[in-house]
Amino acid sequence: MIAFLIKRLMHAVLVMFVISVLAFAIQDNLGDPVQQMVGQSVPESEREAIRERLGLNDSFLVQYVRFAKNAVQGDFGDSYFYREPALEVIARHLPATLELVFAATLIIVIFSVPIGVYSAIKPRSPLSRLFMGASIIGISIPVFLTAILLIQIFSIGITITLFPESTSWGAWLNGLLSTEGNMPSFGRGYNLVHVVGHWDTNLATWNGLQHLVLPAVSLASIMLPLFIRLIRAEMMEVLQSEYVKYARAKGISMRRVYFVHALKNTMLPVITVGGVQIGTMVAYTILTETVFQWPGMGLMFLDAINRADIPLIVTYLMIVGVIFVVTNTIVDLIYGFVNPTVKLTGKPA
Amino acid sequence: MTTPTTTTAPSRWERLRDSYLWYSFKRDRTAQLCFAVFICLVIAAFSAPLLAPTNPYDLAQIDIMSSELPPFWVEGADERFGLGTDAQGRDLLSIILYGTRVSLLIGFGAVILQALLGVTFGLMAGYLGGRVDAFLMRLADIQLSFSTLMVAIVVGAVVKATMGSAFYSQYAVLMLVLIIGLAEWPQYARTVRASVLAEKNKEYVDAARVMGLRSKRIMFRHVLPNTMSPIFVISTVQIANAIISEAALSFLGLGMPETHPSLGSLIKAGFDYIQSGSWWITLIPGAVLIVLVLSINLLGDWLRDVMNPRLYKG
Amino acid sequence: MTFKKTLLASVIGAAVVGTTMLPMTASAETLRIGYSADPETLDIHEQLSGGMLRLSHLAFDPLVRWTKDFQFEPRLATEWEQVDETTTRMTLREGVTFHSGNEFTAKDVVWTIERLKESPDYRAIFEPVASAAAVDDYTVEITTTEPYPLLLNLATYIFPMDSEFYTGETEDGNEKAEIVKAGNSFASRNVSGTGPFIVTDRRQGVRVDFERFEDYWDTESEGNVSKIVLTPIAENASRVAALLSGGVDFIDAVPPNDLDRVREADNASLVEVDGTRIIGFQMNEERVEAFQDARVRQAVDLAINQEGIADRLMRGFATPAGQFSPEGYSGHNPDLVPRYDVERAKALMAEAGYEEGFSVDMIAPNNRYVNDAQIAQAVANMLAQININVNLRTMPLAQYWPEYDTRESDMAMIGWHADTEDTANFFQYLSFCIDEETGVGQYNYGSYCNEEIDALVTAADSETDLEKRNEMLSEAEAMLYEDVGYITLHWQNLAYGAANGIEIEPVVNALDFPYLGDLVINR
Repeated sequence: MIAFLIKRLMHAVLVMFVISVLAFAIQDNLGDPVQQMVGQSVPESEREAIRERLGLNDSFLVQYVRFAKNAVQGDFGDSYFYREPALEVIARHLPATLELVFAATLIIVIFSVPIGVYSAIKPRSPLSRLFMGASIIGISIPVFLTAILLIQIFSIGITITLFPESTSWGAWLNGLLSTEGNMPSFGRGYNLVHVVGHWDTNLATWNGLQHLVLPAVSLASIMLPLFIRLIRAEMMEVLQSEYVKYARAKGISMRRVYFVHALKNTMLPVITVGGVQIGTMVAYTILTETVFQWPGMGLMFLDAINRADIPLIVTYLMIVGVIFVVTNTIVDLIYGFVNPTVKLTGKPA
Repeated sequence: MTTPTTTTAPSRWERLRDSYLWYSFKRDRTAQLCFAVFICLVIAAFSAPLLAPTNPYDLAQIDIMSSELPPFWVEGADERFGLGTDAQGRDLLSIILYGTRVSLLIGFGAVILQALLGVTFGLMAGYLGGRVDAFLMRLADIQLSFSTLMVAIVVGAVVKATMGSAFYSQYAVLMLVLIIGLAEWPQYARTVRASVLAEKNKEYVDAARVMGLRSKRIMFRHVLPNTMSPIFVISTVQIANAIISEAALSFLGLGMPETHPSLGSLIKAGFDYIQSGSWWITLIPGAVLIVLVLSINLLGDWLRDVMNPRLYKG
Repeated sequence: MTFKKTLLASVIGAAVVGTTMLPMTASAETLRIGYSADPETLDIHEQLSGGMLRLSHLAFDPLVRWTKDFQFEPRLATEWEQVDETTTRMTLREGVTFHSGNEFTAKDVVWTIERLKESPDYRAIFEPVASAAAVDDYTVEITTTEPYPLLLNLATYIFPMDSEFYTGETEDGNEKAEIVKAGNSFASRNVSGTGPFIVTDRRQGVRVDFERFEDYWDTESEGNVSKIVLTPIAENASRVAALLSGGVDFIDAVPPNDLDRVREADNASLVEVDGTRIIGFQMNEERVEAFQDARVRQAVDLAINQEGIADRLMRGFATPAGQFSPEGYSGHNPDLVPRYDVERAKALMAEAGYEEGFSVDMIAPNNRYVNDAQIAQAVANMLAQININVNLRTMPLAQYWPEYDTRESDMAMIGWHADTEDTANFFQYLSFCIDEETGVGQYNYGSYCNEEIDALVTAADSETDLEKRNEMLSEAEAMLYEDVGYITLHWQNLAYGAANGIEIEPVVNALDFPYLGDLVINR
């Protein structure tokens, strides 16, 4: 267990090191941060002086060593754009992203478990087929398109005039298919409730929740079908196993068999996949946050790339790297906890 | 992958016709429909220069005064432009056909690259084992823990940085193939490695080894053909994924330039106009992308069911 | 999928109908602003930018300020007179106090001008000013090195700072007055001006809070805003959404695609102002021999449909331009209008021997000007008509300027706003023959050089007879129009959105810094 954690810690350090070197290697081509700090009519000599002061003219090695020295002490440098420590900037954007991921996860859990279990129990029922069909469509729609569609339907609204408006059934059908479109589609709204530190929450007000719905649904839309299919597949496998048959034969109620015995064993692989998918989720937040202008880390990262805000980019990448390693470690720990036959060793997991 | 039923050496066509694959294809309406849709899209895309009413790469044909015209079923449409025009005045139908071609090119190209890398590494890891295996799988693990998109964004930035943005935009298709290809090889490597491990201890491999064949030969001529079926299955999924990845990169502005748009860059370009009511610039290419990816995914689903009946027990 | 979405639609629909939206009302005197950018710092001399000038007009007062029709309005200077060719005497307002409680006198003006001359961003603009001296507490004399007709234009940039407040050392031993670019100086964190609003709280990139200054000198102003909350909302669509949802009361930079939405909204109105920022292209004569031929440059200009771009891509949100200076500027020449004519362009190309055309590289930013990338693409399409094959690259600002500085493309897009609100400034930066020593032609990407025009503009710049100066600049515009030293597309308009009751119209201007001290709210 200790060896396992140490191994993982080294893994994290390695990931951070590789990312920081990589990020430093690309920084020159991301653009010139100085140009944005000065007015347009400032002569080149002034800009050169600022570049010199920021140490941008030093060699790669000198810059990297300086950065690494400070980074070890927890100082990742100041963001050029925000003019405050990059860690601070990230800390401020983190809650927005976490709330979004939390809401999406909630949606995924609430819907994927019952639907997955149902379609495993009754694989031939029309409803199951519908779920399966819908899930493959869900997988096929890129997350940004889902987001755009949601905006069009719920935020802008659509007016259907396919059916004759003069007839009552036509008008009714048109009305049924058209949408009002008043859902907020941008940002977090202005009724955030301050919790603690940098954390202002969307979850405490009706307006805040409204702003959260569309982004969370889009973010969930890509994972939900995956999990439904995964749960269904695993569940079907488990239902074939001897002990379920035995339990069934013993006369234990079906509900108990499904939801206690079978589901428990189904969740093992689901947790593993879920852990891996958290990494993917971070990337999808970049897309979702871009479309909905959700002021989280993903949007901040893209802005930072456009502004050539190098300290912020480097810090973000390193933090995300660490988040990956940590979540993977936690998943492995949970895995070991749920299934004691798995031994946590220093071996690569 | 095929089950020959005749004893005389059958021709390829006969083998296909008698295969289980063909049998199940004949019986599966969804598969047939998807295949038809997919083939239609591919043919339409690759014969875009013949089919498209205008050539969107010929800038002289573009007139700003005919910008943002709606598709034919909406009021205010212009009969010259069946699906309407985009913000620059380009014919949407033409640019979608050309854009689909770009998307497909990148999707297939990237998957070929992924497969080449992944199969090679997977074979090596599985067959050679030991240190090579540990190193390659560690690499795959780290890369998989980041998502494809993250890797693609970083790789894209590195490539742009080392090559310069002028070079990048000139070879954008190639670059995207490279980026997406590099980002997703672990999927193949893992699958192939698993298959190899399963095959490795089978008798025919032992026999080949006893016969004194070199391991390279055993790997490629004997083990590889037996891992083809999972490779084939994941390839379909991977093509769909690659197309989506490209679209996502382009949507973030890191992919194809708007002058030579893919479906993703068309969607991005149109997104600016969706709030002002010009929904078609974004939603029509979006619909094409969905249909394309969906048909590939459904085909992949069907293939998996046919080739790997394990999941069909319920 | 239809099912999934419909299901969702009904669930969400029910939720929305079930609860009415909470109206977000603010007390009558609080103004919630959603600007595209917040001030980069609190030191008004650290950076010359739109955001900083807006801050300057909130927390400080200039000596004089521009009116809507480009006249000067007395603020902290009440009168001014030309003493001799190079000296201007200004009488200052009495009874004005700074936020710190210190009294405003001539020494603050002198101190501020001296600081401006130290500022990297303002140094170049204040180059013509030799010195400033306090005659008595309420009289100051500003001397220029040479006769200089634009001293009042400069005075709009002089926002007297509280010299006492900014003098001395901080606890960690730094000069309070020092200007540190992108650093952490005293002045970047503390403010004491004479302006209508006091900065009460500020978090970079998040919000700035202002409160009305109780002892503000301008008691005649009808402005009744007692509190301002400024939130930067960089993304266009979200800024508009914030206004329409009632999240903020006032936004700047309404994007062209959303003009109609704001115009037609029940709870908000749109205020448009003709802008002064010229958008255009430069042709690199160093790299493309053809561009050295005036006929080719004319052909390029003729092939571009300025009206089409303004009408379609900008949705009428731009004034097609045939010259640098917008209406209202001295030097504006009403005869110089866009002259789109593809046939003549083709003829000129043929005449110059380029009937077959040629290929060029073009660069443009994609996040600087309104619809910049789309405009560049449209221009590329138009140039194809005269067989100029354009290879366009667009990039974010951070990459654009370094690229621009290398001058390694054949055509480049640039927008320019004259810091002095004067025609000569356009010429000096964009079309003057490049002179490394004096710094003129710093943004002359194409290395265009017409000494005749330069001489005329230079002469105009020391002509203190404004009538005569106007004519000279007007002449220079005509010459540049003929010679096509810069391809003008349009002046980008300004558009603000304001919630009902926010009477923004009287206080906005083409300079893009609303005088919010005078804003009246009538809810």
